[in-house]
Amino acid sequence: MKKLILLIFIGLVTYGVKAQNNDFKSSKTQFMIRGYGHTGYESITTNGVTESSYNGGSFSPIFLFKHSDRLMFETELEFEINEGNLNIGFEYADIMYVLNKYMTVRAGKFLLPFGTFMERLHPSWVNRMPTKPLGFGHDGIAPGSGVGVELRGAFRMGASTVNYSVYSTNGPGLKTPQGVEPIEAGMLNFENLIDNNNSTAIGGRIGLLPFSDSSTEIGFSVYSTNKVGDTGSIYENLEANLYALDFSFVKQIPSLGGTFDVKSQYNHSKIDNITYTIEETPGVFEDLIFNNESHSFYAQISYRPSMSGNDFVRKLEFVSRYSKLKTPTGSGFEADKKEYSFGLNYWISWRSLIKLNYQNISGTGGHDTIGGFNQNGVYIHWAIGF
Amino acid sequence: MKTFKIFGIAAVVIGILTALTLESCSTEQITAYKNRSGAQLWGENCVRCHNAPSPASYNDTDWRTIGLHMRIRANLTDDQAKKIFDFIRSAN
Repeated sequence: MKKLILLIFIGLVTYGVKAQNNDFKSSKTQFMIRGYGHTGYESITTNGVTESSYNGGSFSPIFLFKHSDRLMFETELEFEINEGNLNIGFEYADIMYVLNKYMTVRAGKFLLPFGTFMERLHPSWVNRMPTKPLGFGHDGIAPGSGVGVELRGAFRMGASTVNYSVYSTNGPGLKTPQGVEPIEAGMLNFENLIDNNNSTAIGGRIGLLPFSDSSTEIGFSVYSTNKVGDTGSIYENLEANLYALDFSFVKQIPSLGGTFDVKSQYNHSKIDNITYTIEETPGVFEDLIFNNESHSFYAQISYRPSMSGNDFVRKLEFVSRYSKLKTPTGSGFEADKKEYSFGLNYWISWRSLIKLNYQNISGTGGHDTIGGFNQNGVYIHWAIGF
Repeated sequence: MKTFKIFGIAAVVIGILTALTLESCSTEQITAYKNRSGAQLWGENCVRCHNAPSPASYNDTDWRTIGLHMRIRANLTDDQAKKIFDFIRSAN
């Protein structure tokens, strides 16, 4: 009997140790939550009227599910308090499968590689500035995400690295006088989650890192569709053609004692012309006829004295940005604006920073603005990636 | 006309890319590329967008997930991704 009990005990202990070992053995399937968030204070004076407020911040969780070494699902949500309201955004949700060394397929809602800003640089802990450059985000002219399928990859060519992406998505819709914001008639609506006209958009980007140290990248992106309006509407067969050029240079330069980071992107958008009839006041109509062409540009440079012997100085970063947005003259969303921003960042860790920033945007027009526009803003943001 | 304009810009860009690529085909450049260590690739590629993370920030299992995610997001080559992951695993 004692032998039996001893055998059972040894068996249980052995099973327990084995089970314990299994608990610590990593599985092929992994689930992670990562993401980023920010909070801060903003004081913005627009045409002489000042609004100051603590910024409730944002929380952007990213869920990663690695099914195997080739198959992965990623999704990002965005929770943001804006003007006292909680806005919830659905940034992307896509499945990715590595086909071979040179090709990966993605399907779902994904960030579009139209240039690099929206796909790579917009998260608050990555973006050196507290705001996006002109031309991006709400009322921007560059697409941020789309629903569809994409093939992407990278390969070596000599001592260069070439990366590429080609995709097909539902494409943009067109804001019309019958829409929610008639004043924006003629703008593309990139938040078009269903295909409104049985015509997909096609696009792609090719990037080249010409030097072996990956310090420099130049890219060219296109995005095109031959229908943007709703099926059956007079806008159905309007075409839209967009392209972007992007540049990046990041390198530690010992003779200057630190790291330089230069980023730049030019966006161009052309939509076929048509007359938009807007109801200015009840019963009073106005025809808006304009050349529907827009462009935007930004250039940003930052310097971090990463080779300084002083720990505090090493964590500082000086940054400045210029951006410009020009939308069609004669349209309801006509704007011609320039932005100059200067900032000082302090890196608490590799993924958390405090940004102190001054920003001036001046020009004419813009959303809900008639005539001149002058805005001065002071921002203090604290961002963290996790 | 607009199609010609876009193709014209594309031709100029492809020309520049080709010239830069040909320049990179020298034996010294190719050797420098092939000899790049995982630590160098980690330092050079992460900072293209954000600061290079400390290898100690995550364990090997987490790095496998992050590595796959970043390989696709940052368009790293298969060889670059493997070298970077091997370095991180050896350094964390």
